[in-house]
Amino acid sequence: MGGNAWTILRSLNQERIVLVVAVLIFGAAVIALPGFFTSANLISIVRSISVLGILALGMSVVIIGRGIDLSMVAVMAMSIAWYLQLLGDGMTEHSALLLVLGGVLAIGLLNGILVAYAEVPAIFVTLASGSFVFGYVRSQLITSDAVPVPTGHWVELLGGLRLAGIPVEVYLFAVLSGAVFLFLRFTKWGRYVYYAGDNPVAARNIGIPVRPMLVLRYVLSALIAFAAGLLTAASLHSINTRIVNSTLLYDIVLVAVIGGIGLAGGKGGVRNVLVGAALIGIMLNAMTIIDISLLYQNLIKSTILLFAIIIDGLLNPRDEQTAQQGDI
Amino acid sequence: MDPIVRMNDITMAYRGVPAVKNVDFDLREGEIHALLGENGAGKSTLTKVMAGVVEPTGGSMSYRGKVVKFASPHEALQAGIAMVFQETSLVPSMSVAQNLYLGAESFLNRLRGTNIAAQQFLQSLNFPVDPTAMVETLGAAKRQMVEIARAVHHEARVIIFDEPTAALTPEEKRHFFALLRRLKARGVSIVFISHALEEALLLADRITILRDGELVATGPTADFDRDKIIAAMVGRTLSGSLYRKRDTASLRKPGRKVLSVQDISMGKMVRNTSFSIFEGQVTGVFGLIGSGRTETFKIVAGIYKRDFNRGGTITLDDKPVRYYTPAEAVRGGIAYVTEDRKSEGIFETMSIGENMFGGLLAAGGEQGLVIRSRSVRELAEEWTGRLNIKTINADARVVELSGGNQQKVVIGKGLVQKPRIVIFDEPTRGVDVAAIAEIHQIINDLADQGLAVVMISSYLPEISNLSDRILVCRQGRIVEELSPAEATEEKIMYAAVH
Repeated sequence: MGGNAWTILRSLNQERIVLVVAVLIFGAAVIALPGFFTSANLISIVRSISVLGILALGMSVVIIGRGIDLSMVAVMAMSIAWYLQLLGDGMTEHSALLLVLGGVLAIGLLNGILVAYAEVPAIFVTLASGSFVFGYVRSQLITSDAVPVPTGHWVELLGGLRLAGIPVEVYLFAVLSGAVFLFLRFTKWGRYVYYAGDNPVAARNIGIPVRPMLVLRYVLSALIAFAAGLLTAASLHSINTRIVNSTLLYDIVLVAVIGGIGLAGGKGGVRNVLVGAALIGIMLNAMTIIDISLLYQNLIKSTILLFAIIIDGLLNPRDEQTAQQGDI
Repeated sequence: MDPIVRMNDITMAYRGVPAVKNVDFDLREGEIHALLGENGAGKSTLTKVMAGVVEPTGGSMSYRGKVVKFASPHEALQAGIAMVFQETSLVPSMSVAQNLYLGAESFLNRLRGTNIAAQQFLQSLNFPVDPTAMVETLGAAKRQMVEIARAVHHEARVIIFDEPTAALTPEEKRHFFALLRRLKARGVSIVFISHALEEALLLADRITILRDGELVATGPTADFDRDKIIAAMVGRTLSGSLYRKRDTASLRKPGRKVLSVQDISMGKMVRNTSFSIFEGQVTGVFGLIGSGRTETFKIVAGIYKRDFNRGGTITLDDKPVRYYTPAEAVRGGIAYVTEDRKSEGIFETMSIGENMFGGLLAAGGEQGLVIRSRSVRELAEEWTGRLNIKTINADARVVELSGGNQQKVVIGKGLVQKPRIVIFDEPTRGVDVAAIAEIHQIINDLADQGLAVVMISSYLPEISNLSDRILVCRQGRIVEELSPAEATEEKIMYAAVH
């Protein structure tokens, strides 16, 4: 019966399925694709996974709390572009960093306050603030689409830094993953994310400061976006603001959702981000090696995202218990 | 003359719990029939069966001499049975005319044509409503007129009103009654559910009274008076220890006064109400739906904010307080156990332990920012034992538990915060009989331990058997205080109805 198959499907752990699929794709690519299993390519995979994964970490904290942050890519690219521009214009390292961090904090606060206190749906707030950030920084604060890293600057050195042959991004991703894991698992504020994501009204009623915590999450995701931007600039020696109009944002959501972080909130953790990032990273790399055009890559990714969201909606419905209590 | 609607032996059970049991009900052509009973007596369910909103689990219904089975409200409406809901089912952002023709629009329609048709139609009913007005700008009475007009427009032969007068002012009520009489003159049969007994006596041709899902009395209005109705509404058979009679000696004496509320107001829901709560006893709060009892205590628990100007004062331990968030109330030692556990009580995807742990965290029970995960399991073990929560395994998600066990989780989540004042709002709604007794035991134990316990309920036996004093809420204020030793259920009900 269909019901039976359904129970089996539900009892399976999405995280495990995704891990198995990732390993299968990896195995298939090793066998079928020449040039896939080389140290240079493997490093490029982990490198691309790292930036994507860091962004997905920030996104996940927001999603678990039943929100979404669509301004992440804009904040990531534009904050770094502005920072590099300031440096290029001769501002001191110190004041440039402080100024940009202030801006990043302001956007996070704005997102959070609008969602928490003005109760505007997160999807619209962050969509609007993201395009505002892009438009304002591009038109007022920087002079060209791509801003280079000044030669000899620490960001440039960061890009070339390797420990035991592995680029520094990977270590940073690992450290950030550990930090977010500890935050979600072992701190009071981290646990609050889950309660607010599962049932915000109940969370408020038992005395959890739901609104301040919401603001905190958007500030956190903005700061994480800034960190991811630093790494991007470090590996490319410049930042191209056109990335805001790329599909990177959807890749981030894809990583979170496919890893098993339910869009309904209250579910998932760092492990889900790791498996999601592994699967997407391997897949994207394999598609590039096979030389599937970008057009088709996007089609494939969006199809997967669509299916992932549908399956997520079935597995984690927002309203599990539709039967009404009382009202007899 | 044959009745227009005849319901035979109707039974309706929600997940095995019957809300209506073997009820026979007749509605005659062109009569006004009042359906009375306490909250939860099964009035709404019976009429929902009639209007095709729910399908009965047993029994049959005939309409105009033919056996019918409505699969949806739409089918019932097509046949001529319309229900005007308690919560109106209008679309607020559309005009009156658009709402009138909602679902009955022709494929191509012009706004002007619709407006003119609506204007003529409303005039024929003598309703002073502007068809171009947006529904959201209308008052409760006019909204109701639009609802009724819609029912009449569908040429309903039977119109069911669920608590039609609850939101109306006396003036609006007079208009409404005149309208009912006009509808009756047009040969429409009317069922109306009400808590206001005077209205029923004034308007109805016949009265039917339900209690605990069973029909207890039916007959022409002339056979009833106010006292007879109340006696029929509450006069249940006293069975078992659950419904034992209290005498003065068994009542707990009030301890220290912990909470004193003076003249608090919130909009139209809570009006200038005052009362005090004492330690070491159960204060029962009785009121019908819409009497403002939940709102009053949600203000106390910091969930709602009272009016900023002339909002009154709340004193906790002789210190005036004004809470802006529930977190402050929790820190003050007040726990509120909600009446609606699904939407504002439980974290349904989490385990029992995680639910409890949420309460502990929020109350500051874990010192510092870093928490130990060991405590979740300990909490689950401790509280499943203390509250006798039945579960297959400790990791079960709360959504998988039965209603009674979910309710215990919600209670535990509050108790884990070590409150001094616990407010139970309808603690046994949607809970099985065995769990009801256990929850009552929990409430009694808390009062014996010296906590100040407030129990809001619309279930009279619960009120009179657990309370050490009874507050009755009506129209947004506490109107009467009674002692359970002297208060009969009739007396309490008398104070609660208007």
